[in-house]
Amino acid sequence: MLWVGIRYCGGCNPQIDRTGLVEKLKEETKKRLLDVAFTTDRDRVTDITLFVNGCTHGCLEEEFLRTGNQRPYLSVKGETVGDNYIAEKDIPAFLVQEMIRQLPLFD
Amino acid sequence: MGMMTGKEYIESLRALNHEVYFMGKKIKNVIDEPMFQPHIHAAAMIYQLAHKPEYEEVMTATSHLTGEKINRFTHIHQSIDDLVKKVRMMRLLGQKTGTCFQRCVGLDGLCAVYVTTYDMDQKHGTNYHERFKKWLVEVQKHDWMPSGAMTDARGDRSLRPSQQKNKDAYLHIKERTEEGIIVSGVKAHITGAINSHEILTMPTRTMGEGDKDYALSFAVPSNTKGVTFVFSRQTNDTRRLDSPLDAGNPKYGIVGGEAVILFKDVFVPWERVFMAGEYDFTTELVETFAGYHRSNYGGCKVGLADIVIGGSGWIAEAHGIGTASHIIDKLTEMIAMSETCWSCTLACSYEGYKTPSGAYHIHPLLANVVKLNITRMTYEWMRLAQDIAGGKIITLPSEKDLDNPESGSLVEACFTGKEGYPTRDIIKMLRLIENMSVGAGLPEAMHGAGSPAAQKIMIARRGGIDKKVELAKTVAGIKEDKLFEEIVGKKEQNHWKEVKNHIDGKKVQIY
Repeated sequence: MLWVGIRYCGGCNPQIDRTGLVEKLKEETKKRLLDVAFTTDRDRVTDITLFVNGCTHGCLEEEFLRTGNQRPYLSVKGETVGDNYIAEKDIPAFLVQEMIRQLPLFD
Repeated sequence: MGMMTGKEYIESLRALNHEVYFMGKKIKNVIDEPMFQPHIHAAAMIYQLAHKPEYEEVMTATSHLTGEKINRFTHIHQSIDDLVKKVRMMRLLGQKTGTCFQRCVGLDGLCAVYVTTYDMDQKHGTNYHERFKKWLVEVQKHDWMPSGAMTDARGDRSLRPSQQKNKDAYLHIKERTEEGIIVSGVKAHITGAINSHEILTMPTRTMGEGDKDYALSFAVPSNTKGVTFVFSRQTNDTRRLDSPLDAGNPKYGIVGGEAVILFKDVFVPWERVFMAGEYDFTTELVETFAGYHRSNYGGCKVGLADIVIGGSGWIAEAHGIGTASHIIDKLTEMIAMSETCWSCTLACSYEGYKTPSGAYHIHPLLANVVKLNITRMTYEWMRLAQDIAGGKIITLPSEKDLDNPESGSLVEACFTGKEGYPTRDIIKMLRLIENMSVGAGLPEAMHGAGSPAAQKIMIARRGGIDKKVELAKTVAGIKEDKLFEEIVGKKEQNHWKEVKNHIDGKKVQIY
């Protein structure tokens, strides 16, 4: 079982549907029979953190990097993931690929 | 070679020997010509301030390419802090010159081309980004000022570039060779063009597949064979030939000093070509440039507002009405508006983001809001400046009449003010307010970096109206409000049913 910690930004002026995206990500992992669980419980130890930022500014990632945290993470910032422009509809599939790439155990 | 001083910048232009025309005459050297000197002084301020310890923090940066200290006007923003410092620098320069200092167009061009060439290479496997970086290192090393040449003449705007009867209405590729490209066409209204070392061209609009030859970006030195500049007119421009007092802002001029740039069969080597046919990236380049450039206006124009507010306060004092409540009210209005624009530009910088190229970009929605506010509020604070200054700003006699031994003292006596305010100082300040509030500066605030309609297109596109509709539907009760149901602990319709029963059962305490 791989645990993914979900963090949402404040969503003041989102360019994407943040919660809808996470729902689709959950469906995508289910469809691909991946042994993965999602949590928003901040006290739970997770394998990877997924930042769901509504816009390209990505305040969650900014805060995370400022603390010098080295733990693995993926960051959705509007219609970008990391350094890639990804259309909103394609983000869930892209995230799954990225998880597989970053965490070999996941495959 | 390091960062130039103001004086070194001016001398560097002497060596250009580029082809410039004004009022039907060929200009031998722009730096010796009083018509151009104020614009050159305004740009020189950028170079000068970079050497002042008290301004070094905002005026300089460390090149991410060479590690060298460079003028921030040649820097690619590497952080949110860089974006914020850029607009602080814009306000500072507005405060020091009271006019447009011109170099921001080239800076925004550098950043926009940097971002776009990276993305273009990722998709098309081209090597524009590396080429561009090589040229950028030269710009930084020599502290060159490139003009940002985006706007084409555009001809019949209902037709696409490739459909124009006059092909030169848009800058375009005429021929591709192994060594480079040959281009022709016109770029219009280019700020600071005649006092820039280089020209950085960009497409002016989204291009379609049929417009491939118009999807074009390159850099050439201003003295390249086939490049001609025709300097444009501004309101009251020849007053600077009459007297410094009449000119209003004789040191730094009025607006930026725009020019038409004519390209006739200009050869551009491939190493200086940054887009040649990739029409699918023209939107990104135009929008990235526009975003950067529109964010600036909440910096530079607010710096200008600082001058005109200060000038209005001073003139009210000189007229003996400095403590009148309506004057204080107007000055306060002016400050509130200018600081609103400042807040917007800070916000669009602080809400910026890292692009795949590594360069940081401003928040595009907020940047367009900055500029749209400027197209309105500048007119309003300048209107209030005119209101405070009085009708004198359009009726003052010339300096020659003040100097006339027969009538000068009588004329000067007409314009005395409060004790301690020399008449000529009062006239100087009134002329400055006239220069800033009556002339070309206003339409520049309207159309520079794009007209209001262009900002509204971007705002509409990025404003997320569909998401706002959903929010409104939820609050109005048209759409299920899960949070409300969690608060009341039941379905919304059940809640309202219970409320109705409560009222019908006369259980409401106020009945």
